[in-house]
Amino acid sequence: MSMQEELEAIESKVIQDLAQAESMDALEQLRVKVLGKKGSLTTIMRMMGKIPPELRPTMGKLANTVRANVDEALKQRKTELTRQLMFERMEAEASDVTLPGRRISLGTQHLINQIREEIEDIFCGLGYIVADGPYVETTYYNFTALNAPENHPSRSAKDSFYVVDNAPEGKPPLQLGDSDVLLRTQTSGMQVHYMEENKPPIYMICPGTVFRPDTADANHLPQFTQVEGLVVDEGITFGDLKGTLDYFCREIFGKERATRYRPHFFPFTEPSCEVDVSCGVCHGKGCRFCKNVGWLEILGCGMVDPNVFEYVGIDPEKYTGFAFGIGVERVAALRYDLPDLRMLMEGDMRFLRQF
Amino acid sequence: MGESSSVVYKKGEQMRISYEWLKELVDIPDDPQVLVEDFTRTGTEVEGVERVGANLDHVVTGEVLSKERHPNSDHMWLCKVGVGTQNVDADGKPEPLQIVCGAQNFEAGDKIVVAMIGAVLPGDFKIKKSKLRGIESCGMNCSERELGLGDSHEGIMILPADAPVGVPFAQYRGMSDTVLDCEMTPNRPDCLSMTGVATEVSAIYDVDTHMQMPVIQQEHGAGPDGEGDVNSLVDVEIDDSELCMRYTARVVRNVKIGPSPEWLAKRVTAAGARPINNVVDVTNYVMFLTGQPLHAFDLGKLTERDGKRHIVVRSARDGEHLTTLDDQDRELTSDMLVITDDRERPVALAGVMGGLNSDIDENTVDVLLESACFDSGCISRTSRNLGLMSESSMRYERQVDAARCNEVSNIAAALFEECCGAEVVRGMVDCYPNKVEPAAIALRPSRVRAICGADIEDEFMATRLTRLGCKVSAGEDGTYLVVPPTNRPDLTREIDLVEEILRLWGEGDVEPTLPAPQNHAGGLTLEQHRMRKIGATLRACGLCETSTYCFADPRDLARMGMAREVKGTAVKIIRPLVSEQSEMRRDLLPGLLRAVAYNKDHGVANVHLYEIGRLLFGRANKSLPDEVTYVAGVLSGSWDNDAWNIKYGTHDFFDAKGVVEELLDALRITKVRFRPTTPEKSSWLQPGLAAEVVCKGSVLGWVGAIHPMTLDLYGISDTVVAFELNAEMLLRLAQDQLPYVDVPTLPGVDVDLAIVVDESMTYEQLVQRITSAGGKLLRDVRLFDVYRDPVRVGKDKKSMAFSLTYRADDHTLTSAEVDKVHTRLVTKVLKSTGGEIRS
Repeated sequence: MSMQEELEAIESKVIQDLAQAESMDALEQLRVKVLGKKGSLTTIMRMMGKIPPELRPTMGKLANTVRANVDEALKQRKTELTRQLMFERMEAEASDVTLPGRRISLGTQHLINQIREEIEDIFCGLGYIVADGPYVETTYYNFTALNAPENHPSRSAKDSFYVVDNAPEGKPPLQLGDSDVLLRTQTSGMQVHYMEENKPPIYMICPGTVFRPDTADANHLPQFTQVEGLVVDEGITFGDLKGTLDYFCREIFGKERATRYRPHFFPFTEPSCEVDVSCGVCHGKGCRFCKNVGWLEILGCGMVDPNVFEYVGIDPEKYTGFAFGIGVERVAALRYDLPDLRMLMEGDMRFLRQF
Repeated sequence: MGESSSVVYKKGEQMRISYEWLKELVDIPDDPQVLVEDFTRTGTEVEGVERVGANLDHVVTGEVLSKERHPNSDHMWLCKVGVGTQNVDADGKPEPLQIVCGAQNFEAGDKIVVAMIGAVLPGDFKIKKSKLRGIESCGMNCSERELGLGDSHEGIMILPADAPVGVPFAQYRGMSDTVLDCEMTPNRPDCLSMTGVATEVSAIYDVDTHMQMPVIQQEHGAGPDGEGDVNSLVDVEIDDSELCMRYTARVVRNVKIGPSPEWLAKRVTAAGARPINNVVDVTNYVMFLTGQPLHAFDLGKLTERDGKRHIVVRSARDGEHLTTLDDQDRELTSDMLVITDDRERPVALAGVMGGLNSDIDENTVDVLLESACFDSGCISRTSRNLGLMSESSMRYERQVDAARCNEVSNIAAALFEECCGAEVVRGMVDCYPNKVEPAAIALRPSRVRAICGADIEDEFMATRLTRLGCKVSAGEDGTYLVVPPTNRPDLTREIDLVEEILRLWGEGDVEPTLPAPQNHAGGLTLEQHRMRKIGATLRACGLCETSTYCFADPRDLARMGMAREVKGTAVKIIRPLVSEQSEMRRDLLPGLLRAVAYNKDHGVANVHLYEIGRLLFGRANKSLPDEVTYVAGVLSGSWDNDAWNIKYGTHDFFDAKGVVEELLDALRITKVRFRPTTPEKSSWLQPGLAAEVVCKGSVLGWVGAIHPMTLDLYGISDTVVAFELNAEMLLRLAQDQLPYVDVPTLPGVDVDLAIVVDESMTYEQLVQRITSAGGKLLRDVRLFDVYRDPVRVGKDKKSMAFSLTYRADDHTLTSAEVDKVHTRLVTKVLKSTGGEIRS
């Protein structure tokens, strides 16, 4: 057999054998048999020096072509086999995709704090800062500087939790009515603290826990959450108050909700009003959810009373301002139609996981 | 009689406004719903709208035509009752009803109230044709109670002789009225009266009022010959004019006590009181009309000295007693105000309720009428301390108009004359030591517009303030001078007028605008962002946030095995709602343990909760406590129930520690140690599973397994692991960034190393020795196994297997280099630990 024939035979044999190679191992064996150190093609290539010089260019060229063809064929077969194995593997891996996934279950944020953060973010977007105040206050900050009259019923022990004053200045510390120290009943005291420590312009909210002696039931908690807001600047109008709270209500309840301002009375604002948002169920027509009113009361607000400005030394002729107080539990109850506020304090995982 | 003449005020029904009555005083829309909306818009809160009489269909006035004994009963009567055309025969002619009646208080000819067949009386009492002892009865003669008008059930209701027959009862009684149940804000005492409401309405609609007050027809002398006036019969002394600003007394004589005329009873009923007798009804009526509480004393029951009665208004004496009209014996205290008979005997609790010892009864002949003004704070305290709210105290609490006490007294006297046949004694005793005139307020219309942000015209301001009863005149520079009426104590400053103008103009019509802050930037502070990150990290670790009470049970710290003083003093609530919430918490754990117990008791086995909350620590000689925010978490059960492709272990100490490590990592707090702590220091933790978290010499908090004894006291039987950290220290130690370290580009070499050491050697100690022995090529030390076996490893020994990573930054390490470093490491570690290589 001439070298040429041998080369052609090797090539055709390889092509033939490749078709039979059904695994990567078989493919490798075949490669070694042809291209290994003792492989058939390697052996012929080594003999190239022994053939007549005039034949060498032709034979060399042919040998290289065969070598290239064999390489190509091996490579092609390898690709085929790889693909085939991939399909086999995929077939074996196929599963029931309706089986539940393997989850790392994340924790959830308490509903009240979710809403609190949402409110913070809304007002931060309007250029407000977020302040924080003490739970234990003196009657000065909780009432007096907020223009609450000396004999206002909200000051009574029925409506406020007074605590023992450790610096009683001669008064019996345990005697009710002698302590001027109490758990704050509203976050409004922060208005006073903040205005004492900061000059206008003031754009501030203060979220926080407040306390009132209401026995816990479906609609009351002795501790709940308010977000106080205060703006003091030159030229602030009642229209600014409305624009701000309209924006807030739409952000928190939805663009389609309307607001209604009802004049009301608070000692530390004047004019004062309560704000209602249109019922999300009936959109103002009246239904069971809104007790047929069509509106849901959500917050109290008003223009800062000049008396409050005088307590903190801000000139009420130069500056005007507005303040508001939002009940976070109220927002939560309205948004989710919660049947019982006590669930917010029980720590039941089945409740917490829902939000 | 002995019935209360003071109307006890029911919460949520501060002011009942009869639409029909209001219509007499001012022009109002025909549809009450329109007024309700306009009230709401202008600041009068309407809590309810009640249509009175709407439920009295088929109830008519009738006349007893005949009354005979029931043939089969000795206490029932068989009556024929005429009801006019309300019942007709086949020819359309009026036909009387045959009614069997058990009442004894009526006679033939009486006018009565009949519930015909088809009527439904209050309490869903349906009237049907029935047989009583064999005789057919076609209706029922009604008592007051059956009609829902009162408590009287002693007999059927007898109407005046001139009552028409066959008229729907609701129409006859004027009960087809609408009553608005209003809640007035505390700054509007004027609206606790019909005249005040009428004034308000006139300002809302810019319409006239027409308030015609009754006038005394004739005054009589005090003496038998018509000489002298009331001053010869009564004198008044006020001890403290701060507490009693004005006291007026009038005397009317020869009253004829009896039922009130129909119109009066109707008005009093509509306002929410029960008609009692003409004298009492007049005082109540005038109070509802004017807002001025009145009190009528039986003059005959007051002591006469020197031919006179002596009214003294003084503070009560501690321990003094008075039986009030509701027949309750009240012990008084010195901060209460009493009306006394010649100083010694209290006869009324000023402003709150009269005394039983001087009340009006059926034998009363002469009446002393009080129209006075008392201090609102004093009345408010008295009423609260005694738990006694009356229509009178409710009005005094909100301030009564001292300037009008006399006018109101005259109105009442005129009505005594008209309705009780009384003779009015000439004159009035009027003790009014410090008369106060309302001061004029300067109102700048431009200022009103600037505050409201609305284009309100000057003319509107002047008109509506005038409608509210203010005297408005032009001042300087385009301002107005406004003198408010005396019944508006809330109007003293310009801003008070701004409020009036804005609410009448319409808050809803003000154009909403957003302020544009100049030179002010908002947003969260660094600390606030970090605080949010604490929560976010714990949630990413799988914990759910909860919120527990800031109140604590005084036994909580003892349950944690702590002495009470360990955490300073508690902030104590003087009057707690329940003893379990009588102080403020000094630790977050008890609240979280209560939440764990709640879950377990409700069948929830897997609990992972955290709370970021404030603790309050009382300080000696300081009024205000320290308030410090902590973060704590509890884990019990496992992360989840085992699933088809995943198994979870029961939570142990290292789950809690892992969460803490993750949190510290997220805050980039480095160089933290977990130091074993002792039972003396951490009594609530299980010994051996308790660590303090220490950083830069400060203890940040703890992590551990809760002591079974503590768990037992909270009713928990499962293992609970937990942590508590001072969040404020975390915020201070937190770093926003650590220096960047190059990502390795060259491969490292991993070598495993298992060392058998004494049980007493800690992981921390061993790692520290490995690290110091490893030199700078050792880049990572990771424990992957701890193995104990008395035979293969040895008693009191453990094998700890580590995976060590060696790497150089500038070249790929050769195996020779690694061998050299590793061999040196092993030698050093074995030497320093006394351990040996596990083969």
